[in-house]
This record gives sequence, structure tokens and C-alpha cells, in this order.
Amino acid sequence: MADLALDRTETTSVEAILRDELTRANRALSGVAPVISHLLESSGQTLVSDATMARLRGMLHDIARQLCEAVMGVQAAQEVDPLVVDDLADALASNAELLHHLYALAIEGQLTERLGRQSSIDPVLSPLVQELVASDQPDVAELAMAALAAQSRFIQHQRRMSLPIGELPAELFLSALQAMRKSALFDDDEAKHAAKALKKAYDEANGRLALHARLVTSMRSGAIAALNLEHSGFCLFATALASLTGQSREIAVVACHERQAARLALSLRAGGLAAESLERQFGILQPGYLLPEGISTLPQERATALLANCAMAGFGADHGGQGA
Amino acid sequence: MNRQQTLLAAQGITDDNDRLLSADGPLAQLQESCGGIIPGVLAIPELLALVRQARHSGLRIAREFSAFDGEDMVSGFARIQPLEDEDGGGCEVLVENWHRALKPPASSHEQAEWQDAVDRATCEVSARLDAAQRVQIISVAAADASELQDLFDASPGKVWSEYVELQDLAHKQPLHWRLLDGCKCMIPGSHRHWRARLIPVGVTGANPRGFELLLVADEPLVAGVAPPVEVEEAAHSRLIGSALTPVLRQPIARIIANAETIRTRLAGPIKAEYSDYAGSIAAAGQHLSSMLDDLADLEVVEAPGFKTARDHVDLADAARRAAGILGVRARNRGISIILPNPDKPVIADGEFRRVLQILINLIGNAIAYSPENSTVTVVIDEILGDLASISVRDEGPGVDADQAKRIFEKFERLGRDSDGGNDSGSGLGLYISRKLALAMGGDLEVVAASDKGEGAEFRLTLARIND
Repeated sequence: MADLALDRTETTSVEAILRDELTRANRALSGVAPVISHLLESSGQTLVSDATMARLRGMLHDIARQLCEAVMGVQAAQEVDPLVVDDLADALASNAELLHHLYALAIEGQLTERLGRQSSIDPVLSPLVQELVASDQPDVAELAMAALAAQSRFIQHQRRMSLPIGELPAELFLSALQAMRKSALFDDDEAKHAAKALKKAYDEANGRLALHARLVTSMRSGAIAALNLEHSGFCLFATALASLTGQSREIAVVACHERQAARLALSLRAGGLAAESLERQFGILQPGYLLPEGISTLPQERATALLANCAMAGFGADHGGQGA
Repeated sequence: MNRQQTLLAAQGITDDNDRLLSADGPLAQLQESCGGIIPGVLAIPELLALVRQARHSGLRIAREFSAFDGEDMVSGFARIQPLEDEDGGGCEVLVENWHRALKPPASSHEQAEWQDAVDRATCEVSARLDAAQRVQIISVAAADASELQDLFDASPGKVWSEYVELQDLAHKQPLHWRLLDGCKCMIPGSHRHWRARLIPVGVTGANPRGFELLLVADEPLVAGVAPPVEVEEAAHSRLIGSALTPVLRQPIARIIANAETIRTRLAGPIKAEYSDYAGSIAAAGQHLSSMLDDLADLEVVEAPGFKTARDHVDLADAARRAAGILGVRARNRGISIILPNPDKPVIADGEFRRVLQILINLIGNAIAYSPENSTVTVVIDEILGDLASISVRDEGPGVDADQAKRIFEKFERLGRDSDGGNDSGSGLGLYISRKLALAMGGDLEVVAASDKGEGAEFRLTLARIND
């Protein structure tokens, strides 16, 4: 009798566990359809496409590989089991902010490529950058030269779906180092040593994003001139848009994606563009979409306020060269 | 670090507690207009956050920043470089593209609300008035206003202006509340200057149901209220620091900023000569501004009651910090600074901040007057067991016996006006340093040139503290 009672409780608890497992499995399955249908949507218009995913994976792996190399040395890292690198990349992928940043970079890479194809906007050397490189102020010219070199490296890296770890904004760079320190793959002392060396080599000011932000600040009130894609190229355009509207650069980049037309229109307005140029810029980035009605008569402050009120929490937090 | 050096508009050094130890022109001004001092905790919140972040993470970071200095929006691109522990453990702050612009005018309604919030948060006396401005209830948070509370308790229910003394008002009560809002007044028993705020409560039509009365003091209450006699004397002798400097700083800053604008051709292309003239104007303005700082310092050290604090000062540590602060300047001229051995601490009796100030002056002079790629040596000696000295030696042209006599005199520049404008000293640095040394019971002297070959040597002597 006592045995039976015991059996029954055991059965019940086993059943309960299994029931929980099934519920969880159901929930996971129910998530599959929307994700797949999103991915299956005709390419080009979806926020997340196969191309974006591939770039994201590539960049995550590249960062993980660089961390491995920093700890073990280039030679030893080549012999490391690819699964180990995968694990580290997975750990990095659990950081939502890092994902947002890399996602914006992937979008930027795709947009730059598309603009080059469709509107013959040079991905690297735009007329504005040319002007800045030829500036009669040697320091501005030098800065522009450095930004130009960084942009050309970026385009190359995007084609290879890679990203040098030193290009990350300080917060994300630190969190990548933390992921490395936490990882069980490495010897504690070696990881500590590697983190120190990586930190020492890091200088946010010389990253592509900071270089462009510095270039935009050096243009001061002339920064609005950069809100002309054909004149400035996408990289400076996005940096100036972020700076002039007080949004993160990630958001400014994503606003240029086709599914974010309203955000783009508002951002251009908040950045200070008047009706005609606003229409032109919008047309280049969102061909086939209609400009939201009344946007060019919306006061600039209202546009700024609307953007601020509907800011997307957690996306592209305050880093990457954007000030308070 | 070496690139784009000339975009640089300002730089400063902080220590391991985020105190701004030194800063040049624009940054120093911003620190001051944000209510900070040098050396003192970085008072610009936007920069403080960046410096903290850089120091904690040990990363060189670069961000756009903007701050409000009370009048204009100041913006630029800040690069923060954490320093090694042996260099003080703080950060080097570099600001590029310094830019001032008028703050976008907030709507007047917004501004009024903001002002009300500030006054509510800072008032030390608050009261509730009825529609006829009679005090219904009063609460006092400052010690020197307790007499006011007593006055009210003794005879409550009168119009508020009968308890205080209104100033600069030609008319007598009753006045419309709008005329009284913001007026100056004195409170019985308080030496401070007060400002009254009347904020209407429950406005229906033109007649408020009552008022919130806030009394905001213009100065903080100093512990152990100073008797008025001393205040008078201090005000008299500190004419420059307390009266002249605050008034002159703004116009001079404007001259520098505008000249810089012209020099960098921000408003459009101009001929190179004009840009150079503007450069000279800016340099002269900067000279004027540092002169003002020195004069304010001078006043402090010449004040009759000037005293320094007495702490235990590790001379080697002070020398190391001073050298860390001037490291950038020395590196720019290829000068290496040889420091005393930190493992043998020599403790002297003095005030750390003042010793640091003297050493910065001495080492700064040595760097300025040494040939490029030479060496500046700092040596510590113990003399007879109860004195300690620290000497700064350079390889410059040296000081002859005649100059040695005059070098510590006020405004003495030893003919250095003619060196092409490189040196923008006021001729007060050594004078102030010597005064400080004397105030700490020590001395600052120049070692006679005949004692050794080339180069100048200055020796600071202080009482030694034996462990």
C-alpha cells in the first residue's frame, strides 16, 4: 500500500515535469511560424533577411575568432576546434545591445551596396569627403583622410562579413571582453592578460564611427550639408542624421530601411531639411514609397519631439559617438 | 594621439578621484562656469560621466558631448585617455572642435517652470500665503532665518513683506504680486542676501487663491557665520578675485572665442594674414585670461590672514604628480623629466595642493626655458635631519647672479617678453610660489649659478617630518 502511494506520487511528479516540458516545446514551436514566414517574405523588404543573418553570424564569428587569437596567439587559435569559436560567438550573441549594433552595421553594409548599385552613390569616396580631404585646414584634411581609409576598410570587411573588434563602441568592446573572460574555454590568467593587451590597443577615437562623428562635429553648423546622400555618401549621411536629430547612429541607419519610412521622414525633418530636399533624400532611400503626408509642413521641433517620445528602448543605446 | 593634434581645442588632466587638476583655457572656463574649481571635482556632468567611464573601463573613449555653461551650449568632441597609475591614475581629457552656440531658446513657459523648480528645490524659507499675501504658515530650513520664524510665531497673520525688509522697492505694499516676484530682501538675523519668489496657487481668472512664497539665498550659509567686519575687509582686499575676475572672464572668453572663429575661418574664407591677426588676438586674450588667474591667486597669497593647511606631504609623490600633469607639454618638446626615487619617501610639513602648485610652476618653467630634447631633473635632499628640500634643475640658459636677485619680484619676467610671444607668463608665477613657500614656513630660492655649470636650479625647502 505504502509502495503504491509512493509510486503514484512519483508518477505524478514525472508527469508534471513532462507536461511542463511539452508546454515549453509547444511555445517554442509556435514561435517557428512567424520567424519562418518573416524570413520567407520576398527578400529586400524584410527587416531580417538571409543576407542580414549571414552578415550577423559572420561578424559574431569574426569577433569570437579575434578573441581566441588574442588569448592563444594566432597559431594556436587556428588549431582550435571550430565548435569552441561557435560557443564564444553564441555567448556574444546573447548580448542584445551588441546584436543591435551589428545588425545596424549589416543594414548599413547592405544599404551602401544598394545605393551604389541603384543611385551610383560611391560607397567610399563621396564628393563631400573629397572636399574635406582637400580642405585647406590640414587637420580636417587629415581627419577626412583617416575616415576615408576607415570607410574603405569597413566596406571590405562587410564583404567578408567580418568586423575588427577595435571598431566596436567602448561599451560593446568591454562586454565582448567580459564574454571572453567569463568563457570557460580559456585559462584565466591568459584571458586576463589578453584583455589587458586588447584594452591597451583600443582607442575609440580612431574607429570608423568616431572618425566620422569627429568629421561631422568639425563641420559644425555646416553638418546639415551632409544630409544629402549623393553629396556625402551613406556613412557621413547616417552619422550627420544621428548627430542632428540626437538619435543613436544605429537608429539613424535602421531608419533608412524600407520598413521604417515614417521614422526616416521624421528624422530628415528633425534634422532640418526643407520640403524639396527632404523629398529627394526620401525618394533615394525609399523608392516606391510615398512621403507621409504633411511631413514637410510639420515644424522641426514637433518632429524632434515625436522621435524622442517614440524612441525605441534599448536599441542602439547611447554610444558610438553620439553624445548626451 | 599624434594625429589631428591641431583640431585640439582644450585639454585637461584629472586624477584618480575625477578631480580636474589642470586644464587650459576653454575647459577651465567651462569648469568654472559650471561651478567647479581647479583643482576640484570635474563639474561638467557630461564630461564627468565620460571620465568615470574611461577610468573604470581603462579604455580610451571618444564621444561627442555638449554641456550648458549657464549662457551658451558648449559642444565638442571629447577624447578621454585613462592614465597609468604611476601617472596619477586619472585621465587625460582632450576636446576637439570646441564650439559655442546660443542655447536654443526654451519656450518662456518652459523656462518659467524650470526656474520655479530650481527655486523650490533651493529655497531655505518657504511659506504659504493667502490671496491677500498674508502668511498662513511658514517653514524655515536655514539656521540664520530662525529669527524670522520667531517673528512669525510672535505675531502671525501679517502680510509677508512686514516680516522681511524689501530692497530696491520705491512703492509700498500692497503691490501686485507680479511686481514683488523676484525682488531682493533681507531677513532679520541673516547677513545673506535673499530673493523672494511668489508663485500663484490655484489661479482662476486674474485672482490667485493664494501664493507659494519662497525665499532663496544668494550665498550659501557659511558655518560659524562670519562677523560683518571681516566680510568687509575680505571684500576690500579681494577686489580682483571676487569682483573683477567674474566680470572680465566672460568678455575675454568672448574675445578669444570670436577671434578663434575668425582664425579658423568658420564664417567663410578670408585672407591668411587676417586669420593670423585673429590668431594673435586670441593669443593675447588667452594671456589676459591667465594673467587674471594669476592676479586672483596673488590676491589670495597677499591677503593678511592667508594661511595654508598643515599636512604630511610626500615630496616624491608631489613631484611625480606634477610631472604627470605636465607630461604632455614635456613630451611635445622632447624633454624628459627625471624624478626622485619613490621608494624613499621624504615627508615634509606643508599643504599638498600648494606644494603641487609650486612644483607645477617650477617644472613648467623648466620645460618652457629648456632647449628641446633636454632633461629636467627633480632631486630631493634631506638637510640636517629637520629640513627637506626638493630642487628642479634644467639645462636652459640659467640664471645669473643679477637675475637671481630680481627673479622672485612681482611681474618680473627677466626680459622674456621678447621671445616671439611663445611665453605668455604674467611674471607672477615665481612670486606666488615663493609666497606660498613662505606661508608654509619654508622657502623657495634660486641656487646661485656660479655653484654649477649650465642651467637653472630652484630649491623649495620645507620642514621635514620624521616618521
